[in-house]
Amino acid sequence: MNRIHPSRTLPIVLAIGLSAPVFAQQPIVLQWQTANLTESQYEPIWKKTIAEFEAANPGIKVEPVLVARKDHWTKFVAAAQARKAPCIVTVDLTTAAYNGYLLPLDRYFNAEPAAFRNAWSRDMLASAKWKGELYGLPIWGGTYGEIYNRDLVVKAGLDPAKPPKTIDEYVAWGRKLTGDDHWALAVLGGKTDTTTRVLLTWIWANGGEAFNKDMTEATFAKNPKSLAAIKLYLGFAAKNGIAAPSPTTTNYLEQTNLFAQGKIATMRNAYWSVAKVVGDNPALKGRMFATPIPANVPNAPTLASVAASSISASCQYPDAAWKFIKFDADKKWAVQRAVVANWMPLRNDVADDPAIQADPMLTEFVKMGAHARSYPLPHPAWADIGANDVVDAVQKALLTPERTDAIFRELDAKLDKKLNDL
Amino acid sequence: MATTRPPRARAFARRRLYGYAFVAPVFLFLCAIIVFPLGHAFWTSLQRVRGLRSTFVGFDNYARVLADDAFWHSLSISFAFTGVAVALHMVLGLALALLLDELRSARAALRIAFLTPWMVAPAVGATIWLWLLEPQFGVVNYLLRAAGMIDAPLAWLGEPGPAFASVVAVDVWRGVPFVMLLMLAGLQTVPPEQYEAAAMDGASAWQRFRFVTLPNLRYLLIVATTLDVINTIRHYDIIGVMTAGGPAQATEVLPVLLYNTAFRGNRFGEAAAIGVLLLLIVLALSTFYMRVTRVGSEDGAR
Repeated sequence: MNRIHPSRTLPIVLAIGLSAPVFAQQPIVLQWQTANLTESQYEPIWKKTIAEFEAANPGIKVEPVLVARKDHWTKFVAAAQARKAPCIVTVDLTTAAYNGYLLPLDRYFNAEPAAFRNAWSRDMLASAKWKGELYGLPIWGGTYGEIYNRDLVVKAGLDPAKPPKTIDEYVAWGRKLTGDDHWALAVLGGKTDTTTRVLLTWIWANGGEAFNKDMTEATFAKNPKSLAAIKLYLGFAAKNGIAAPSPTTTNYLEQTNLFAQGKIATMRNAYWSVAKVVGDNPALKGRMFATPIPANVPNAPTLASVAASSISASCQYPDAAWKFIKFDADKKWAVQRAVVANWMPLRNDVADDPAIQADPMLTEFVKMGAHARSYPLPHPAWADIGANDVVDAVQKALLTPERTDAIFRELDAKLDKKLNDL
Repeated sequence: MATTRPPRARAFARRRLYGYAFVAPVFLFLCAIIVFPLGHAFWTSLQRVRGLRSTFVGFDNYARVLADDAFWHSLSISFAFTGVAVALHMVLGLALALLLDELRSARAALRIAFLTPWMVAPAVGATIWLWLLEPQFGVVNYLLRAAGMIDAPLAWLGEPGPAFASVVAVDVWRGVPFVMLLMLAGLQTVPPEQYEAAAMDGASAWQRFRFVTLPNLRYLLIVATTLDVINTIRHYDIIGVMTAGGPAQATEVLPVLLYNTAFRGNRFGEAAAIGVLLLLIVLALSTFYMRVTRVGSEDGAR
C-alpha cells in the first residue's frame, strides 16, 4: 500500500485549518448602486453612512457601485438581465418592477413599527408602488424650481425681490437677461431624460398635459396648451432667442456648467444643482435665489423626482439589504443629504428640522414640493419614453422648428401605440 | 466474426483521437465565447423579451425591425458613415505611408507619433474629442474664433451635418494610423528596380505612383479596405460616447441603434434581431474578404 508522507499532507491540513475561520467570518457584501454616488457633494455623506452602518452591523459590508449618471440605467439593466444586479438600487421604479428586476418590499415595510411607516405620506409611498406592491422606499427627491443668478439679475436692471410669476413675465425678464455672449436660460435637448423633465414643467406651467390620467394616451400635440408651451419653450433656442446655443447637446451637466460660468442667468433645476454650481464656481455661493416655476395657471404643478431605494430581484441577502435601506432612510441622513448635498428630504418629519429651516433656499424648495408631481411617470415603458422618444422629438423640433406641430403629432401617435403595447 | 484492425490502422486511429483531444479545449473555448453567444442571440431574437420574462414569437421581431423606418434610416447612416470613413482612412493612410516611405530621417519618431491615436482606447479618445468640440468651452471653437474663422460658437455635435462630420473626423483620426501601417509595410515590398525602370523611361512622380505603386499595392488595398469596412460598420464606441446616435438620430448607426433598443428601449428581442441582421451584413463582407484573399494567395502562388 502506498503511504503518503506527512510532509505532503501537513501543508494541506494547515491551509484548510487556517482558511476555515476566514470562510466562517466572510461578511455579507451588499452592492449599492444609485445615480448620484458619483456626485462630489454627496460623497462625504454616503461614505459616512456606510461607515456607521458597517460599524453597527459587523457582518455586513456595503460596496458602492460608482456609475456615471448617463450609464446608470443601462448598467443596471445589463446586470439585472444577468441576474447579477447590485442588491440595493435606485432606478426607474415602475419600469424595473414591471420587468421583474425588483423585489416587493411590503413584507419588510409592514413589519416595521408605525412610527417608521408613518414617516412617509400615502402619496409618497404610492409613487414607489407598482400594481399595489411597494418596490422602493422613497429616500430623496428633487423638486424643480427656477434658480437665478442674483448678480446677473441685478446687472440687467431687474429686481430679485419681484421675480416673474407668469410665463409672459419670465419671457420679459429673459429678454433683459440676454446679451451678446450670455443668455437667460438653456433649452435642454440632450439625450437624457432631463430634457423630458424640463419639457414637462413647461407644459404643466401652461396648463397643459403630456398624457391622459391613466397614461394610455399621449397629448403633447393633442392638447393645444401643451403644444403652445412646447413651441414657446423650444422657440427660445431660435437664432436671436433668449437661450444658449447648441440645445441638442445640453443636459443637466452642460446647463449647470453654463450657469456656474455666468453664461446663463437662470436655470430650471432641482435644489441639488445649487451644490453642483457652487462646486464648479464657489464665488456663486449665496449669490443665487430660487422661485416657483412661472406659470400661466394657478397652483401649476412642478416636477419632483423621487429616488427610492429598492432591492433587486437577484439579491441574495434581501434581509441585510433592507437593514441598510432602513438605516439610510433615517431622519439623520435625510437632514444631512438635504443640507450638505441638497437632496430633498421625502420624509414627513424632516421639514421642521432646525437645520433645514435655517436654509432659506431649501425651505423655498420644500414649499414648492407641495405642488409637485412625482417623477418618473408611472408607466413600464417610461424609461424608454422619457429618455428616447420625447428627447428625439425635442431634438427634431429644435432642428426643424417649422415642423414642430407635425413632430409632436407623430410623437403622440408613436406613444399611443407604445403605452398600450405591454 | 470479430475483425481485428491492423496495428497501423489502430495507431492512426489513436493519433487521430489524440488530435481531437488536443483540439477539444480550444474547440470548447470557441464554442463558449462564439457559438453559444451567437446561438443565444439568435434565440433571443425569436423572443419577445420584457425584462426577465420572454415569450416565443418566431420571426416577429425581424418583421417589426424591418417594418420600422428607424432601422432603414440607421442602415443608411451606417453605410454613409462606413463609406466616408473608410475612403478617408484609405486616402489619408496611403498618403501618410507614402510620406513616411520617402523620409530618410525621423521616420521612426513620426511613425510612432502618427500611431498614437490608434493606441488610445476609442472611448477615451472620443471623450477627449467631446470636450474639444464642446460649443462654449471647447478648444476647437476657441481656436477657430481666435483665428477669425467663425464669429459664433459652432454646435459641432448639436446639428446633424456637423455631428456626422465630427464623428467621421474622429473615426478617421483613430483609423488612419492602422491603414498607414499596412500601406507602409506594402510600400517596402515594392521592388526598387520597378521605380528605377520607370524613372529611366521618364515617368513623372504621378505616373510612378499610378503605374508602379498602385498596382503593387492593389491586393493590399483591397484587403485593407474590406477589413476596414468590416471593422467600421460594426463600430460603436466613438459614436456611442460622442452623440449616442443624436441629434435626432443623425448619427445612429446600426450598433448604436442596437444598443439604444436593448438598453434604453428595454426591447432585447428586437435588439437581438438587429444584431443578427448586422451579423449577416458583416458575414457578407467577410465572405467577400475571404474570396479576395483566396484569389490573392492563388495569384501569389502562381
